[in-house]
This record gives sequence, structure tokens and C-alpha cells, in this order.
Amino acid sequence: MAALLTLSNATVKRGGNILIAGLSCAFRAGEAVVILGPNGAGKSTLLLALAGLIPVDGDIALHGAALGDYSRSELSRHIAWQGELPPTEFGVSVQQRLDLAAGEAGGDIAVGAQDMDIEALLHRALGTLSSGERQRTELAALMLRDAPLWLLDEPTAHLDLKHQIHCIQMLKAQRAQGRAIITVLHDLQQAMAIADHLILVDGKGRAEYGAAQTLLNSATLSQLFHAPVMQQGAMLIPDYGEEL
Amino acid sequence: MYRWLILFIAIAACLILGLAAGEHWINPFAAHSGLDNTILWELRLPRLLTAFAVGGLLALAGAWFQVLLGNPLAEPYVLGVAGSASAGAVTGLMFMPESAWAMSAGAFAGAWVGIVTVMFFAHLGSNRMLLAGVVLAAFWSAVLALLLALLPEQGLYRAFSWMMGDLSHSDIPVSILLAAWGVALGCGLLLARALDMLLLGERHAEALGVNVKQLRRRLLLLASAVTALAVTAAGTIGFVGLVIPHLMRLLFGSLHKGVLPASAIGGGLLLLLADTAARTIIAPAELPVGILTAIIGVPVFLFLLLRRT
Repeated sequence: MAALLTLSNATVKRGGNILIAGLSCAFRAGEAVVILGPNGAGKSTLLLALAGLIPVDGDIALHGAALGDYSRSELSRHIAWQGELPPTEFGVSVQQRLDLAAGEAGGDIAVGAQDMDIEALLHRALGTLSSGERQRTELAALMLRDAPLWLLDEPTAHLDLKHQIHCIQMLKAQRAQGRAIITVLHDLQQAMAIADHLILVDGKGRAEYGAAQTLLNSATLSQLFHAPVMQQGAMLIPDYGEEL
Repeated sequence: MYRWLILFIAIAACLILGLAAGEHWINPFAAHSGLDNTILWELRLPRLLTAFAVGGLLALAGAWFQVLLGNPLAEPYVLGVAGSASAGAVTGLMFMPESAWAMSAGAFAGAWVGIVTVMFFAHLGSNRMLLAGVVLAAFWSAVLALLLALLPEQGLYRAFSWMMGDLSHSDIPVSILLAAWGVALGCGLLLARALDMLLLGERHAEALGVNVKQLRRRLLLLASAVTALAVTAAGTIGFVGLVIPHLMRLLFGSLHKGVLPASAIGGGLLLLLADTAARTIIAPAELPVGILTAIIGVPVFLFLLLRRT
């Protein structure tokens, strides 16, 4: 299958420091790629680069054409980005947030709100919601976008267990429908549940792209995070030490 | 819908009140002598319309600056335009004390010097531009203080009354101000959807398809041009540009297809009312209108804030 988005020898910087050097990979429809790495390693910065929201050294091509050749409105039809929570100073309501995401040809707000369990919050201002409710609003906003490529930055952050599970199930369903998903995650079980491929970034310039089956193992992850990760059956779990 | 109706009824009521009130009260609906006609239609009406247009322009500029800078405390003078315009006006007064238009010309030139200076920092992003604006405002205040120290004593009253807002002798024809009000509101409405997206932050707006760099340039130019015109017409009038957009967000919601027309009307209404009070309370003398915009507007805003919270 032809790639939606390709990275060729891409170098991602923040504040002049090289975070990721010479990364090459391709993202295809119906495939989920999880970005893993320690804090400050450049995971979110990589997502911003893939969304065309920050410049990058090297080439990023969408359907074979450089990202820079697309206008912002064209890019928004191909790529949907879920990142930081929006500011709350100006009293934007959940309904208005979803309206803005849906646009004129966008999805049905009621369906998105129902799916993310925020129907009762539609008339509330974003500033009156908890972080988890705001995160669900952002996920509902993402669901209203008709873009074939989704970029998500820690989509399960702030969510309770029920909504974490629902979020991962929703992403799996979207992948099954042909959506390309690239997401930053910190939870190893969630990564195992959804990842077809992984990008491992260590914040020192090194980045590795490969199949999840190959890279999701205790040795690789322990080395990546400088923290003990144990394999228990099919599970990868952090080693918190002896029980008290 | 009823909120819009109330706003329009308020405009009509305030216009009638503004025509009637003054040192000499006149019933605008009765038959009049030649003098009353002159007072009503050649003195009071143009001044009322000037107040309405200037108030509307200030509120529009305030709404734009707040979104542009992502800061609810922003107002039309936040980037130092009031200071540079005041310094320009006092310079005009200093060198041509007898001229009727020297202060206005100086204010207009000064406003643009301030705007062009700020533009050099526009590429740095909202926060740094705001920081540059605040520092420049302090610089222009120092320049203004220096000029006032050098100004001959007889010019001080004119300088201070202009600096606190003065609608008694605007040098810009009311037709130009009303046209600018309409054009500014029209431009604002064309950008309304993009402005709404900017409420979500620059990254979200870009991800939703807005060319944020281009939008920021356009907004900065538009808001600055409107501020320069308002400050030239009426001196520096605080509070309208800060509070009216927030008041209208409380009443009409956050989206700009509502906030912008409501601010253009609400800002006009507040200044019209304040100016009517300013020229009536101690008639035949006048109070500085900038004082009254705060005295009328602050309690209304705080009341609504408490009610909505």
C-alpha cells in the first residue's frame, strides 16, 4: 500500500538542540505507529513536525509532495492533530469547540459527543471542566475531523481507566476503518494493544523505527527508559520492586 | 435574539438622551428655533455619532488585540500606541500651539510611529510581542513625561484634557469615522471564523487550517489602524477596549460573529453615554470622558461578572 506520509532523513530540533537525527520511515493507511521515549526526548516535537506545525530538517512528504507545498487548509483536510489542551480564558464552550473542529463539512457533533461521553457537558465552558473532561472533548473534536491521518499526543493522559480503555478501543476501530494513527503513549500495555510499528526516541539524537513485535521487549525498553521493565507472559510491566 | 433587540433599543434611547441633554436641555421631537436646530443637528448629533464610532472602534480593537495576543487583559493601547500618540500630540502642541489640528496630526503620526515600532517584534510570537509592547509603552510614557515637563504652562490644560479623552473638537469628519466603523466591522466579520479558531491557541488554529502568520499580520495592522484613528479623533480613552469585548462575551458568547458586532455597538453605546454625561454633569464645563467610561462601565461589568459566575 502506498504511504500517506513519509519521512526521509528528518532531523528534529528544539531550541537548537538536536532531539531526533536522520529518522526515515513511512506511515500507511490502516496502520498504528506508537512513539515511545523518555520525557523531553522530542516525541511531541516530532508530532508537531509531522503535522507541519514546525519546520524540520530533511523531507516530510504527504502523498509524495513536500508538506511545505500544501496550504494550511489543505493540510488540515489530510492531517488531524490532537495536542495540548486549548486555553480557557475566553469562555469557549464544549459545543463551540466541537463546532470549530467539525467545520462546514465535518462530522456530526452529537455522535462525537456521545462517543466520548460528553453530551451532558456541551453547554459548559472549557474552563469549568476537569482535565479528563477536557481531554475527552479534544478526542471528540478529533473524531469530527475527516482527515485520513491522525496525530495524537498522549491521548489517554488525564483519562480514568474506563475512558482510557474506550480511547484505545476507539483508536483500534479507527485503524480498522483505514485511518493512519500516529500516537505518543507512555503506557506500555496501551502501546502493545495498538502498535503495528514503533518509533523509539531517546532524546540524544537516536531514533529507531521498526515493527512493534521486534521492538516491544523488556531489554529494548529498559535501555530506552533507563528503568527496569519486566516481561510477564505476554505483558510488559515496569518493575516497581518487592511488594511490602 | 432579545439581547440584540435590547442593544438596538438602547442605542435609540441613548441617542435621544444625548440629543436632549446638555447645558441647555432640548426636546428633539418638538419644533425648534434656529439656534436649537443648530445645537441639535450641527453640534450634538455629530458629536454623538463621533462618540459612537470611536467607542465602537476601540471595542473592536480591544477584541482583536485580546485574541491576537491570547491575553484577556489586552486592550487597544497595550502595545504602547496611546503613549506614542500622546507624545505625538504633545509634540504637535509644543511646536504649533496656535494650530487647531497640530495635536491631531501629531497624534496620528505618533500612533503610527508606535505601531511600526511594534511591528518589528511581530515575528517573535504573541508573548514576546506583548512584552515588547509593554516595554515600549513604558518608553513612550517616559517620552511623554519629558515633553510635558518641557511644554509651556498654557499648553498643559489642553494636553491633559486630550490625554484623558476629548470629543469636543475631533478633527476627523464624522462621516469618515462612521465609514471606518463599518469597514472595520466588515473586515472583522470576514475574519470571524479564523478568529474563533485562534481562541483555541495558535497551534490548534493552524491544525484546523488557519494561516496564523498571515492572520496575525492582518489583525495587527487592522487593530493598530483602528486604534490610531480612534486616538487621533478623541485622545486616549481607556476602559472601553478592555471591558466591552468581555462584557459582550458574557452576553453573546465567545464566537466572533456575535462578539464583534456586539462590541462595535456596545463600545459605541458606552462612549456615547459617557460623553453625554461628561458634557452635562458640570455644564457648561466638561468632565474628561475617559473618567466616565470607567465610572459607568466598571459597575456594569462587575455586576454581570458576578451574576454569570
